[in-house]
Amino acid sequence: MSNTCRTTCVICVLVLGHLLLGTPRLSAIENLPAREERAMKAAIARVAPAVVRIETVGGLERVGQVLIGTGPTTGLVVSPEGHIVSSAFNFVQKPDSILVTLEGGSRHAAKLVATDRSRMLVLLKIETETKLAVPEFVPQAEMRVGQWALAVGRTFEANQPNVSVGIVSALNRIWGKAVQTDAKISPNNYGGPLVDISGRVLGVLVPMSPEGNAEVAGVEWYDSGIGFAIPLETILRVLPKLEQGHDLHGGLLGINMKGADVYGDAAEIAAARATGPAYKAGLRAGDKIVEVAGHPVARQAELKHQLGPLYAGDKVKVVALRGTERIEHEIELVDKVEPYEFSFLGILPMRSAKGDNNAGLIVRYVYPESPAATAGIKPGDRIAKFAGQEITQADQVVQKLQTLSPDEKVQIEVRRGEEALTLEAQLGRLPEDLPGELPAAHGALARDEAPPAEGPQVGVVPLKMPEFQNECVAYVPESYDPRIAYGVVVWLHAPGGYKQEELIERWKPLCDRYDFILLAPKSSDRTKWQPTEARFVRRVLDQVTKSYTTDPARIVVHGHEGGGALAYLVGLSNADVVRAVAAVDAPLPRLIQPPETDPVHRLAIYSTLATKSELAMFVEAGIKRFRDLKYPVTVKDVGEQARYLTGDELTELVRWFDALDRF
Amino acid sequence: MRNLFFDTARWTLALAIVVVASRNPAVAQAIAADSLSQVIESNQPKMVKIYGAGGVRGLESYQSGFLISESGHVLTAWSYVLDTDYITAVLDDGRKFEAKLVGADPRLEVAVLKIEATELPFFDLATSVPAEGGSRVLAFSNLFGVATGDEPASVQHGIIAVKTRLDARRGTFETPYHGSVYVLDAMTNNPGAAGGALTNQHGELLAMLGKELRNAQNNIWLNYALPIDELRGSVDSILAGKFRPGEDKPAIKPDEAVDLASLGVVLVPDILERTPPFVDEVRANSPGQQAGIKPDDLIVFVGENLVHSCKGFREELARIERDLPLRLVLMRGQELIEAVIKPIASPSPEPNAGESKPAASIPDEKIEPESK
Repeated sequence: MSNTCRTTCVICVLVLGHLLLGTPRLSAIENLPAREERAMKAAIARVAPAVVRIETVGGLERVGQVLIGTGPTTGLVVSPEGHIVSSAFNFVQKPDSILVTLEGGSRHAAKLVATDRSRMLVLLKIETETKLAVPEFVPQAEMRVGQWALAVGRTFEANQPNVSVGIVSALNRIWGKAVQTDAKISPNNYGGPLVDISGRVLGVLVPMSPEGNAEVAGVEWYDSGIGFAIPLETILRVLPKLEQGHDLHGGLLGINMKGADVYGDAAEIAAARATGPAYKAGLRAGDKIVEVAGHPVARQAELKHQLGPLYAGDKVKVVALRGTERIEHEIELVDKVEPYEFSFLGILPMRSAKGDNNAGLIVRYVYPESPAATAGIKPGDRIAKFAGQEITQADQVVQKLQTLSPDEKVQIEVRRGEEALTLEAQLGRLPEDLPGELPAAHGALARDEAPPAEGPQVGVVPLKMPEFQNECVAYVPESYDPRIAYGVVVWLHAPGGYKQEELIERWKPLCDRYDFILLAPKSSDRTKWQPTEARFVRRVLDQVTKSYTTDPARIVVHGHEGGGALAYLVGLSNADVVRAVAAVDAPLPRLIQPPETDPVHRLAIYSTLATKSELAMFVEAGIKRFRDLKYPVTVKDVGEQARYLTGDELTELVRWFDALDRF
Repeated sequence: MRNLFFDTARWTLALAIVVVASRNPAVAQAIAADSLSQVIESNQPKMVKIYGAGGVRGLESYQSGFLISESGHVLTAWSYVLDTDYITAVLDDGRKFEAKLVGADPRLEVAVLKIEATELPFFDLATSVPAEGGSRVLAFSNLFGVATGDEPASVQHGIIAVKTRLDARRGTFETPYHGSVYVLDAMTNNPGAAGGALTNQHGELLAMLGKELRNAQNNIWLNYALPIDELRGSVDSILAGKFRPGEDKPAIKPDEAVDLASLGVVLVPDILERTPPFVDEVRANSPGQQAGIKPDDLIVFVGENLVHSCKGFREELARIERDLPLRLVLMRGQELIEAVIKPIASPSPEPNAGESKPAASIPDEKIEPESK
């Protein structure tokens, strides 16, 4: 008995000790989920007064073929005087009027004060007599992966917020700009806050994508468990500028990188645009950036991480290596630089058989009136030296051209039979006309061995991807020879699909003659393409380039009507593989912002124009957008009424495809 | 004294264990998880897997349901799956029954089935509870038909994003259901999930999972459940054999609606899909002028409804009786102005003109689901 008593006393003391040390109380332990639920509700209640509902009137009703939604969206109060931050996505339709409803139900007309194009935010201002509640923010240094994150919107009901619960999944996403969460982020809460368990704001919810920077980039990830918020701390830092009506832009150096693999390749400058700040500071093509803002840079991705969060006007210290010389500059970033323009010599190379590296670079064709023609280069010439560099294959000239601007003069050494000539050419710009008949790209290959029995399937090949519903067929020339590199034409049909026999009949002679593989996916809904089906197109394209010998310079996406709109989407969002988009009777969709021209990822545009078609105005607007960005654009006049290409016109288009390895 | 001492000792011991446990996060979690798994375990036997028509053209032939009586009544969603003479219900323990359709209410999209069995565990509709935004919930359903035979239904965890009405914004959701719903932040409304049960974290029944539904305004899929309060009346009618399907109340249109001419307001030419409703002209001495409407005003609200276009404004007006006051919100520059238009006299005088009509015959959102 006394033993029990003593034991109890000891336990009492222990327990008292625990209680004094601030251990959670009994009730709390009994039901952790219930306690968390209470904390969440309290957090929501704390931030709710700063979460406002936004409604818009007027503006674009259609963007491309898509009717833009008009549902309410969300904003977050950031100043007692009535400044409200929201997602730029909510204003993509450029509304005529903006109405803000505060928590209490009072309505106010709002003005759009400024836009942050780097983080896809807008700042609104309402007139208010009363001071508004401004939420507390979580300093970025305090944020931890794994902590609770509640996404708050005000779209379903004006008088109560809608909430989704998740955790902070990652910090410094989208090149250092955003916090990532697995709470459900969608148009139902874009513009609203992501808050911690005590109701302090982590950030403002926005759709974002590491690749795109348009207002709608990243929307396809809605409710997927991948959502982004811009830390409120960084927003508040630039708030004074936004309040004064200054739009903010991401900061640019005005350079292009050599090599396509941002995670693998070093940050070597392929081209420094003459009007850009890097060039003005003294950086040149060939310099390798090794340090930015005190952080070492080994690969391009690290450079992107350092530059990503910076705005135009920010200054940054850049260290580069020129040979072994270390050069250091402080560079003020800018919001816009003249787009990169491809320079052009004016020839098509002969294509050598795969594995044959001794053939050298033989000229297949010289563009009439091109720099090459003026310099005196002739078909059959072998180019031995270009701008000081010994040449054994076409790629070397292409890479050299990336670092040269149009109008620059270059020395070229050619071999013509036994003769060696030194010529000078003044470079020009990529041609936009459709080429006439072209000589064959390669001689007949000797069939010195029987084709391997295990070779990939030829003729009409059905393709199926397990996770997609779409059907797809490919046509591979019966004469397929793995030693020859084939171009790929992705055909995206107009609404209604296609008849396989007709399609193959039309394309077979063209594919056979010009060494192309045709790839014809079908939309899962016969009547229309969904933007999400671009992923399917990419997957089948990857499948084909893996299974067959393909020519990376001649991968094109060709579409008619709705298929043309998807062709633009596929082409512009897969710039790493697609080299041309050919759209028939389809404008560039308004919501797609073409990326800057890139010396490494060359992209050419072909568009038909029917002068009296109801889409003519939009087609022309799209062409203008590409031309402003210095893309090479070939426009085919098909008369007054919209229609698909005739047989001859299609042959002409395929010749244009055939000539995409021009330089 | 001794008893008290003993009680204290026991209490202290229990407390000590819990306190020690709480110092160890793994143990604390185990306690939390344990209560949740108990809640789930006690509810799983009430869930029913339902198989019926479908299986063609991407339509699934299965859905979910739950027992609502000890004698085998099953509440589920009214859908094409039930549109067959052979409905199969599989209980949590794997027992398979042929189910009879007792009745259905297509407006609420609910149906009650009956299987021949007794002494079944069930959710009592009479003891269902309400919930609010931010509450943690559990969703029980056989989504994607993952569970078969005696496998328990799938459980998902999430919170109630908000309680709202599907018809709060006209034209947003195409569904015959117009009551309130719990919007959920978990991906609950997938093929096969309709008819599943939503409970709070104590296992108390809150709602029935709805069908798949897409928001027509922003193209976002909606995850939602129908509160039992909204369904109870209909279910009672079905059980009492009173319900006659197809007995829909006709939509009530105003006898004489307001139009632009009667207001004396002329809008700008309607040339776009969504021309903003700017006032072009206001006729002298018209009700519109008396209410203070001026040219260049932008009409933004009719009552509580935001209008986006000239067309939308005309449609809103068509829902409103002439002999009731009409409240408009106008935007003039950056200022919001309220204009109240007095009841408008009918152009052709009638003996009754001017008398107010019963409120039930005004706009169509006033039609509540019939409860009995």
